[in-house]
Parts: sequence; structure tokens; C-alpha cells
Amino acid sequence: MQRQLPRHANSRPARSRFGGDGLRAWGFLLPALCWTLAFFVLPLAIMAVYSLWQRVGYKVVTDISVQNYTAFFEKSFLYESLINSLEVTVMVTLISILLAYPLAYILAEKVPPRWQRIALILAILPFWTSYVVRSYSWILVLSEGGILSNFLLDIGLTSEPVSFANSRGATVIGFVHFFVMLLTLTIFANLVQLPKNYRRAAADLGAGPIRTFIHIILPLTLPGIMVGAFLTFVLCIGDYITPAILGGKRELLLPQTIMLQIERRSDFPTASALAMILMAVVSVVYAACARWLKLDRM
Amino acid sequence: MAMRNIPALIYSLAIYGFIYLPVAVLVLFSFQESRVPIPPFNGPSLKWYAALMADTRVTDALLNSVIVAFASSAVSVVLGFLAAYALARHKVRFGGVLQALLTAPLTVSYLIIAMGLLITFNNLGIPKSLLTIGIGHVVINMPLCFAIIFSQMGAHQANMERAARDLGAAEWQVILMVSVPLLWPALFAAFFLSVTFSWDEFIIAFLVSRFDVTLPVEIWSMLRTGLNPKTNAVGSFVFLVSVVVVLAADLILFRKKKA
Amino acid sequence: MKNSRILRTLSTALRRAAYGLPLAMTLTATSGQAADELNALVWCDHTDPALIQPFEEKFGVKVNLKEYEGTGAALAIIEQSQPGDWDVLVLDGVDVPRVAETGLLAELPQDQMPLDDVFDAVQMRDMTFKDGKMYAIMEKFGYNVISYNKEKVDPADMRDLSMLWSDKYKGRIAVYDYYIPLMDLVALKMGVKPSDITADILPEMKKELFKLKENSVMVGDVVASSTALAVGEADILVGGGEWAVSVLSAEQPELDWVLPEQGGMLWSQALAVFDSSEKKDLAVEFVKYIMSPEGQARLATSSCFWGMPANAKARDALTEQQRTALRWDEQEGFLANSHRYFIPDADLDGQMLDTWTEFLQH
Repeated sequence: MQRQLPRHANSRPARSRFGGDGLRAWGFLLPALCWTLAFFVLPLAIMAVYSLWQRVGYKVVTDISVQNYTAFFEKSFLYESLINSLEVTVMVTLISILLAYPLAYILAEKVPPRWQRIALILAILPFWTSYVVRSYSWILVLSEGGILSNFLLDIGLTSEPVSFANSRGATVIGFVHFFVMLLTLTIFANLVQLPKNYRRAAADLGAGPIRTFIHIILPLTLPGIMVGAFLTFVLCIGDYITPAILGGKRELLLPQTIMLQIERRSDFPTASALAMILMAVVSVVYAACARWLKLDRM
Repeated sequence: MAMRNIPALIYSLAIYGFIYLPVAVLVLFSFQESRVPIPPFNGPSLKWYAALMADTRVTDALLNSVIVAFASSAVSVVLGFLAAYALARHKVRFGGVLQALLTAPLTVSYLIIAMGLLITFNNLGIPKSLLTIGIGHVVINMPLCFAIIFSQMGAHQANMERAARDLGAAEWQVILMVSVPLLWPALFAAFFLSVTFSWDEFIIAFLVSRFDVTLPVEIWSMLRTGLNPKTNAVGSFVFLVSVVVVLAADLILFRKKKA
Repeated sequence: MKNSRILRTLSTALRRAAYGLPLAMTLTATSGQAADELNALVWCDHTDPALIQPFEEKFGVKVNLKEYEGTGAALAIIEQSQPGDWDVLVLDGVDVPRVAETGLLAELPQDQMPLDDVFDAVQMRDMTFKDGKMYAIMEKFGYNVISYNKEKVDPADMRDLSMLWSDKYKGRIAVYDYYIPLMDLVALKMGVKPSDITADILPEMKKELFKLKENSVMVGDVVASSTALAVGEADILVGGGEWAVSVLSAEQPELDWVLPEQGGMLWSQALAVFDSSEKKDLAVEFVKYIMSPEGQARLATSSCFWGMPANAKARDALTEQQRTALRWDEQEGFLANSHRYFIPDADLDGQMLDTWTEFLQH
């Protein structure tokens, strides 16, 4: 990660008159560092140890073994929840990019600058309702007898009430709703930073609007897409609320399976092992997108 | 809005419609008269708002959310700022590794952070409370504050700080009277974002709390204890308050930029 | 174990460090329990302000409530707490022995409990008493059977459990997400008494569950599943009963429930006091309040779900309409044709949970 952080080339380190520069810097660093070590690194380490223990009956046994991990591959309902999670997350990420890109493009290119800020604020405002409430609102929209079903009946598209709630589709809609906004922001931020003369140069060289877009604009906005897509991936694959409220337990996603272990059995060893697997998946994805991500520049 | 072409306008309206649909339904049916918040609409009635205001569990949770959001964001900004100052202005060994460590929580799911904290607190015998929720929220927000502030620490401020130092200012004076005022927009943005994330965070608050819960957790338990438009009312209320806050914050920032 | 020793050393060191922080000290002190508070681990029906507020006002105390579903979840929460954290526990009647055995529960003063007023059939002395000592009192009961919308399905069909497995109601069924009563119902459908469930019949049961899953539109907890019925997502709720529909009886009279011919499952909830409670007297007062006719009527008609009060004297505190919705006068026949929840041992319990999770994932 450190390779992507900007070099503060011009900000020469301050030389303290006493020469105790390093020491003083550590003084400033220490609070944040201790916090991270105590409440982030240590918990992860404890969890890693827990994942090697086992829950037997109503007790935790502290024998070291990898059986929680082997169980993951042996018990179909465990690994299937990872597969479900991956399918949902990939679907959500792709749909959100496809929906968000045109909107970001329109906002950046077709809307006069003085309206842009208002348009963006308008896009963000609905996300200030609590996100538990947002998922719940989608039930009211999607369920049989809900708004959507009534609307379709009214315009005659269907003669029977229809339901979209309690399904994977509902979970995906709930997720896409949030991530379209997020991706619009990251792509928009990227688009407005592009110098206008790139496009003119391309046009001067005889490229049509489509070729300009594919060969110039799209590659240049890849960082914006990737940052948004990565955030979408991390937030989506680790979210419990949206599938819990909208999915109707027709299937289980990985966070639901993890919470089942905690809530119904107090089986922290298995839950820890599943969390480690989730973390490994996210790390792989992070490594794959790392070159586009500049977390310090969000 | 002066749009140049019709398809773009239609597309934007469609997406905005999608974004606003659930919120509109939420607000509309908060005024529902009967117990089930789906069509047909038979309001308007304010009875669910009255029920909301009479429910001390909700009002307590609202207050808790405000306390946790502001306290944890303040801690996050201070710690993030100090760390950014150290790494941007001083030569520190293993600086790159430290940056990576400080921003690492950004790549880890909240659920995992929440579980880790839960197991840790259980093992240490630390009782679950607002404090433990706050600790968790600093874990997720400090990296963000650090990253935002660090990216804004440019050469311009460094020169000013050096000038102040040359004029005999002590380090704390440099920080308080030069760095902080210069970095004000970044600090404010970091604080504002932290408050937002803390305000809306569910899973950490859910797992490491007991009776003193934050609003999202209270709403979740309302959902689990009965379907009625009271949930709509609380959601609409939060939305209204948030809109006011966001617009106010935007006005402050926007005026500053113009000035 | 070497690893656990390292962990312990680390944790002691960190705890000392954490407690050294004055900030931590003040905040934990203020967020700790005040003298006039009672902490109760309950089912969601106890969170209704209409039930709790009269007690709070009478004794000038605050009742802190945390709701859960399923005894496993309660034990998980207790395990994650410190002794003294909890004062009152609401739990499944049939789980009292298992919890009492761990020494978690305090003995209740029998002379102060209205035991004589509790319906004979739901006293369950074999569960609440151990060696002549009383550890819990039954407060509320009802049935996990079939709730349905009588405008959408044929009520006659609902008297036969196996209809749920036929194609007739495919895509019209919601399932209550609690593995014990639901797997018991499946056993009844298979012609097996719930108390005869063994690991051997789990594979067969799994097939039945998978078939049921293919017929259903959703699986959900108390509120999600009854909501599905109320908003028309589903027309039938397996595992439902008065608890899922009575609360809406005034507004949606088309929702009904029935005990099928194969029999139904009797759910019962009991009230107990924690042995580690530092406020046993107040906790006992709370139990007495809940068991009083007024408390019982409020509990029976609580906003989360309704159910029969265990205390027969609650009859006069309920309205005619409420008694009808609860089917007060038909209880004798219902009780005769219903079974108690089956209580598996820890090993079988784990296997049943695995089967249930597979059902959710199917």
C-alpha cells in the first residue's frame, strides 16, 4: 500500500533544534499506533487464534487444529454461503458500475458546473436515512401488496399482485441502490479532474466521440471506477443487514452464516474461521486492484 | 437544469427516481393511520410520530448516537491528524509500513472488526457500553481521517510551519496556530465524514453494546418486535434531521470557499 | 495451553492499561448499572412499553430489556456477559431444566407465586421444579401450528399438515425460523412423535425440509414471518399460531390459525430470576407483577405477539374480542392434541442446527 502514497517531496522533514526529531515524531504517532494495535491488530490476532480452537457442545476447547477450516469445505451450507456472497457481490458491483457511469458522465459533462453541486447533494441526501431503515423501505416497495406491485397492476402490466421481496433479487436491488450513489461520486470525481483538452486533441486527430470515449476517457476514469468498485466489493460482501432484511432467508450469504454461528450457538471458533476466510477473499481482491487504489486520496 | 439532450435527462430522472423511491414510500407511510404500512394509504395521521416521541428507548438511542458520533469522530480526527503530522513532517523509520498499518482497517469488513472487538472485550472482561461502541467507531474512522488529512498536507503548509518555527514558535504553537488553521477544510471534512459513518454504523454497535444502544440498533430491534409505521416515523425523522444538517454543513463550507 | 497463556498474559496487561485510563474509568462508571435498574433478557413481547411502564412507575425503577429468540441465543448472550449483569430471564418452558442445571437460576419463593391460578396443563412442574425447589414460573403459552389467510386458501386443507408439501400451495408458504418447533412439526408430518427424534431420522427429515423449502417464499423470525402473512407475501405460515395473527385480529380478521389433525406444538415461556442477580427482591417483584392478572393481560396482548396468559385469572382483564382471538374457550382441546418442544442433547442439537442451516441454504 505504501507505494501508492504520495511522496511529500517538497515538505522537507522539519529539523528540530534539539535533533530529537524521530523521537518527537513517534510521540505524535504513538496514540494512533497504540489504538490500531490494541483495537485492530490484537483483536484480529485473537480471532486468528480462536479460529484454530473448537466449540464442542457448550464449551470452547483450546486444542490447536484446522478443523474449522476443513469443515468449511466439507459442509456445503458453509462454502455455498461464500459462493452466494461472491455471486451477489459481483452482480451488485457490475450493475452499479453500469448504472452509475452514465449518470456520473452526464453530471460531469452535460450539467452546468453551478448545478453540479446541487445535483450531487440531491443524489446523496436519501442516504442520510439510517441504512437499516433504507433496507426496510425496500420491503414496503417490493412486497406483494407493496407500491411496485400496485403500480404494475394499475398500468395493466400484470393482472395478479407480484412480489419482488424476500429474494436474491431484492437483496441485489437494496445493495445497488446504495452503491450506485457511491460509484457515481467516485467516477464523477475522476471525470471532472480530466483536462478538457484531451478530448479536443483526440478530436483534432480525427477520433469520433465513441473512439474518444473508449480510448481516452474510459482508461482515464479507470481509477475512479476501481476505487468505487473496490469499496463496493468490501462493503457489500461484509454486509449483514441488507440480506437479512431483504433476502427472506431463501439462501444465506457469508455474513449471515457468521452471525448464525455467533447468535445461535455462540460458536466463536467457527465464526472466526469464517471471518478469516472472508478477510482472505477481500485481501485477494485488494491485491488485484491495488494499483488503482490510493486509499489516502479518497 | 439546462441539459443538452433528452435521453440524458430521462436517464438522470430515472436514476434519481430509483434513488428516491424507497425514501418517498417511507415518508408517505409514516403518516399511515392503520398498523400495516403498505397501500392503500389511509392517512394522514401523526399518531406514529406521537408514539415515537413517547418511546424513551428511541429518544435515548437518538441521544446515544449523537454522543458516540461526536466523541468518536473527535478522537478520530485528533489521532489521525497527529499521525499524519508525524508522517508528513518528520522523517520516521518504516514510515511506509506505518502508513500501511494505519490505513489497513479500511480494507477490512466492519463485521470482522466488530467480531474481533467482541471476542477481545469478552476475553478482557471489559463491559459492553457506549464506550466500547465508540472505541470501535474510532477504529473504522481514524484511518479515514488520517488518509484525508495526510493527503492534504502539502508543501505550502510545510513552508508556513517552517517560517513559524524559524520565528521561534514552539512545536505545539506551530501545530495549533499554523497547521490546524491551514488544514481546517480537511479536518472539517474528516470530522463530517466520521460523524456520518458513525451515525449509520450498525454491526459494531450491535455486537459490542448492551442496553445503551445507538439508533440503528434500536431501529433493528424495532423491526424485530413488530411491524408498524413507527419504524417509518423514526426513519423519516432521521432523514429530516439529516437533511437539515447536511444543508447547513454545505452552506458553511460553500460560504467559506467563496470567501 | 501455551497459546492461551500468552493470550491471558496479554489480556491482563491490556486490561490493566485500559483501566488505567481515566477516560475509560469515568465512562465505564457512568455507563454501568445504577441501583434502580433491572436488567432483563426477554422475548420481544416483553419490550412493549404498555407492559413495562406500569411496573417502572410503581417501583420508580428503569427496566433494561434485551430481546432474543431461541435459548441458544440467550445462552450465547449470557456467556458473553459478566456475572451480575442480568436479573430476570424469560425462556422456553422446556429449557428450564437445562438452564437450571448450570446453576444460573435462583430459587423462587413459592409462597409468593400465584401457582394455583396457573392452568394445570401448563404448570409443567416437571420442568420448573427440581428437588422440591421452584426455579421458574410459566407465564404465557400458545401453539406453533399453521396460520393462514382464509380468503386465499381453503381452510379445510389447513387441517392437514401434508397439504403444505403438495403443489397446491407452492410459492404461498412462509416458514417460521426456529428449528426446534419446525423440525418437530416435520416429525409430526412424518408420523413420528417429536420426542422420538433421533439422529437416524435426520436424513429423512432433511428431504422433507428441502421439499418444504421449495414450496416456500421465505423463512423469517417472529416479525418477518408474521409480516409476510400480513402484507400478503405468503398466505400460509408454517409454525405460526395465535402469536402471528392475533395481534392483527382487529384489523385483518381474514388471518386465522388452526391446529392440524397430526397435532401441533405447544410453546411455553417461563420467567426466572438469575442466581447472580444483585437485586433479587426487585426481580421477584417483577415476576409477581408479570404474573398478576393485569400484567398477564398486558403480556398476553403485547404488541410483538399475542399468546395465552398462564394465569387463568387474567380472563377478566381481557376483552371479549381479545379472548376470542386467543380462542380462550377452546384451549382444552388444543392442549390435548399438542406436544411439548423436543429437547435434544448437545450433540443432537448441533446436528439439528446443521440440518436447519442446510434447509436455509437450500
